[in-house]
Amino acid sequence: MGVPTVYRQSLARRIVSSVNPVALPVYAWLALIVLLPNALLIGASILKTANGFMVFEPSLVNYVRLWKSAGFWTLLGRTLWLSFLACALGALIAYPLAFYVGRVVRRHKGLLVVLIILPLWISLLMRVFAWRMILGQSGILNTFLVSSGLLDAPSAAFLYTPTSVLLVFAYIAIPFVFIAVVGAFEKIPQALLEASEDSGATALQTFRHVIWPLTRRSLAIGFALAFLVTVGDYVTPSMIGGIDGTTIGMVIASQFGMSNNWPYGSALAVVLILSVAVILGIVFALCPSRGILLGDEGVKTARAPEGRTERLGRLLGGCGFTATVLFLYAPLAIIILFSFGSSTLQAFPIPSLTLRWYGELAGNAALIAAAQRSLLVALLVVLVSSVIGTAFALILHYGRVAGSRACEIALALPLATPGIVLGVVMVLGTELFSIPSGIAKTVIGQSSFVMPVTLMLVLARLRRLDPSLMEASQDLGATRLQSFLHVLLPMIRGAIIGGALLGLTLSADEVMVTLFLTGSSPTLPIWVFNQMRFGFTPSVNAVFTLLAAVCLLAVLLSSWIAGRRKAAV
Amino acid sequence: MSIRSADSVLSLETIDKTYDGASKPALDRVSFSVAPGEFFSILGPSGSGKTTILRIIAGFETPDRGRVVMGGTMVNDTPPFRRDVRTVFQSYALFPHLTVRDNVAYPLRMQGEAKGPRRAKAEAALALVEMSPYAERLPHQLSGGQRQRVALARAVVSRPKILLLDEPLGALDLRLRQQMQHTLVQLQKELGIAFVYVTHDQGEALSMSNRVAVMRDGRIAQLATPREIYFEPRSEFVSQFVGRSNLVPIRFEPAGSDFVAVIEGTRLPAITSDRPGPARMALRFESVRISPRNGVAGPSSALPGIVEDILFLGTNCEVAVRCGELSLIGSIPAERDTTLAVGQPVHVDFDLTSTQVFRD
Ligand SMILES: Nc1ncnc2c1ncn2[C@@H]1O[C@H](COP(=O)(O)OP(=O)(O)OP(=O)(O)O)[C@@H](O)[C@H]1O
Ligand SMILES: [Mg+2]
Repeated sequence: MGVPTVYRQSLARRIVSSVNPVALPVYAWLALIVLLPNALLIGASILKTANGFMVFEPSLVNYVRLWKSAGFWTLLGRTLWLSFLACALGALIAYPLAFYVGRVVRRHKGLLVVLIILPLWISLLMRVFAWRMILGQSGILNTFLVSSGLLDAPSAAFLYTPTSVLLVFAYIAIPFVFIAVVGAFEKIPQALLEASEDSGATALQTFRHVIWPLTRRSLAIGFALAFLVTVGDYVTPSMIGGIDGTTIGMVIASQFGMSNNWPYGSALAVVLILSVAVILGIVFALCPSRGILLGDEGVKTARAPEGRTERLGRLLGGCGFTATVLFLYAPLAIIILFSFGSSTLQAFPIPSLTLRWYGELAGNAALIAAAQRSLLVALLVVLVSSVIGTAFALILHYGRVAGSRACEIALALPLATPGIVLGVVMVLGTELFSIPSGIAKTVIGQSSFVMPVTLMLVLARLRRLDPSLMEASQDLGATRLQSFLHVLLPMIRGAIIGGALLGLTLSADEVMVTLFLTGSSPTLPIWVFNQMRFGFTPSVNAVFTLLAAVCLLAVLLSSWIAGRRKAAV
Repeated sequence: MSIRSADSVLSLETIDKTYDGASKPALDRVSFSVAPGEFFSILGPSGSGKTTILRIIAGFETPDRGRVVMGGTMVNDTPPFRRDVRTVFQSYALFPHLTVRDNVAYPLRMQGEAKGPRRAKAEAALALVEMSPYAERLPHQLSGGQRQRVALARAVVSRPKILLLDEPLGALDLRLRQQMQHTLVQLQKELGIAFVYVTHDQGEALSMSNRVAVMRDGRIAQLATPREIYFEPRSEFVSQFVGRSNLVPIRFEPAGSDFVAVIEGTRLPAITSDRPGPARMALRFESVRISPRNGVAGPSSALPGIVEDILFLGTNCEVAVRCGELSLIGSIPAERDTTLAVGQPVHVDFDLTSTQVFRD
């Protein structure tokens, strides 16, 4: 075997010499935060438990158990079907909406876009909680129906059903689909539509043969985003789904909690991931994208003056938009309203306004502690993510790293992992290194998906820069460090700050992953979640209102910075 | 060539157009007719309203006043997809997700033609512009000139009566542009389609067209054959815009019963007028003749001058000569050993056969 040995040696040496030492930290993060935990998940799924401990005896017993369990198939089917239907519903609403905002609206377009996607930055808990207040037995819907005489007694049929989960999932899906599609609509050059019309196509034909092929891929992306988020969401079903609304995420969570059967939970997670991949694969195959918009297809010109049909369409679009905005904001508005209401009952009319609940917050030591912890975690996560994300972006962009594109995608994997799966993956990963539950574990877990956000924002910025800037600076006598400080940093500062603010809101609102990691020292959303499980206090409304205010402030700040940067360049 | 709107494929009658929010009209009483199979060019500086005319003909804009007539019927309210007009967009506007063949077949598909004939016609149109080998490609896999030709094939595939072209060669380099000019003229003759061709390149307009409309600030400054436009521009604007010329201030002074033009103290008996006073004369570069002085006295109507500058342009040289207050540019054939040098004293005289005089 002389020849192969020599060959192997040289291959090994080649691999070693081809590894750019600059890229080592990137590979280290990739291995420790992304690949190893995922490998552990697969590894754990082929183990067994005995007496609450994992036994190192590889077998497929968990999968066999799943295969034979009728309950599991029902559960998987329901989970996927609920998410799929909800996202399809969301797409059905968001796609025409994006068309309206992207192509029909002429004024205040930016504002309308922000209006639709803003709920993405509102805590998921708050949104779900709001729906619970609307749909519950003593909720607003029942109160209204009873008082208006449509129902004799409050109905329990609205809450704790798969339909309520469907409704809330669709509610969650709309902004995701919208944000993905509206850009695609905006990017279609007007000249293409005119060329189609010029070729004798009616409006419907133009839609079918030009607009749809050019936007379907974005629709698929938006659908996938929403699908990943909802399929990995075990909080919403557990809060409003009831028995019939149980999803696989809840079962996985319980395997890592009460039931304490990690291998079984891991197998569930693996199957979930695989099914999601298959479904999204099919969705993407059904929405192929072909050709490349070159950007020279012509500038957009003002639309031709409109006839009756156009005006009618515009009117319909306006109505649809308003209805959607009401649908998106009404639940949030209700929470904010009740946070100032004096009654402990969540019903209209509100007897009188008060700041009592806010006052109560100030006196709640556990809450203050949770808020402080949340702040600390968020700051640490943002610090870690900003420094590492920026460094990695620079390494990937300037370091001539082999396979940098693949690296980037792999680093962003946690962002595309359904919440429940990422949660258990991070549990496994941190457990291996015996990191105790609490702040350290939470920071690591959250950084896994906040860091890629900064990384991608900074990378996108770097790619748009003139590549010869750094060379010009060095040519003018600046050292690498000087060039970085005086040329590069000022130009990517906006992206870093934007990433940091985004990370702040992501960290402050996160529940799915964090719930697994905090142990006995909860962050604010986790604390609220626990409170809600034990019963309702109106202070929760006040907490949500404050949290939403802080997050919106961060979003506004970051978009203001982005806007200023755009104006400056 | 006079065309009555009866036997024209297209006529615009006193079209006015002001865009929403604009203070100045984009078009102001624009009228013209296009004969079947005519190559009609619209020439003018940026912002003069050329594109607006095309968009009104295509139906993407509606005029505020006036009528657009095609084949005897008014089409003001006909939507674009029901007009027998095709546009070649300045930006090509090829559908990025369709192959070259599908792009070309698109208009036929919209008319509901069966697949077989559709394909055959698309192939024929592609052959016309020599793009058959590229039928399976997507637009981003083509060069600029090739995309241009595909756009052309798509526009002519359903044999419209009128083809609108908005600076279709603007994005091409010089060589390709000249090649495409020949292709266009040939295509137009072969198909017998009336072309309405927009450009701001006077060379292009003059070389290809049957008639040219020169636009200025939304109005037609002159509408005539290329020769008339070139040799008999009706205004300073047209003479400046079409071709390269000197605009020379002159005075008419009494000479017998008439008044004769004087430049810098030199009389030009060939140019007379019935009124005294100042005026301007447009002198094409090629009508300015320059000869070395060499101590010889020039013709009586020649101006003495000094060569200031020589630009070598390949086939010819542009020579700037200072004659007192005046700076004149003349174009002379380039020779291997040019006899002129900077600083050399020369005689300048003029070929006055095609000179236009403008008064205020
Ligand atoms: N959509 C619009 N809204 C307002 N004004 C417009 C619009 N389109 C064109 N204009 C104005 O109308 C006038 C004529 O424009 P047009 O596009 O017809 O010029 P053009 O001759 O084609 O110029 P170019 O050679 O630069 O293409 C210009 O003053 C322009 O600013
Ligand atoms: Mg134009």
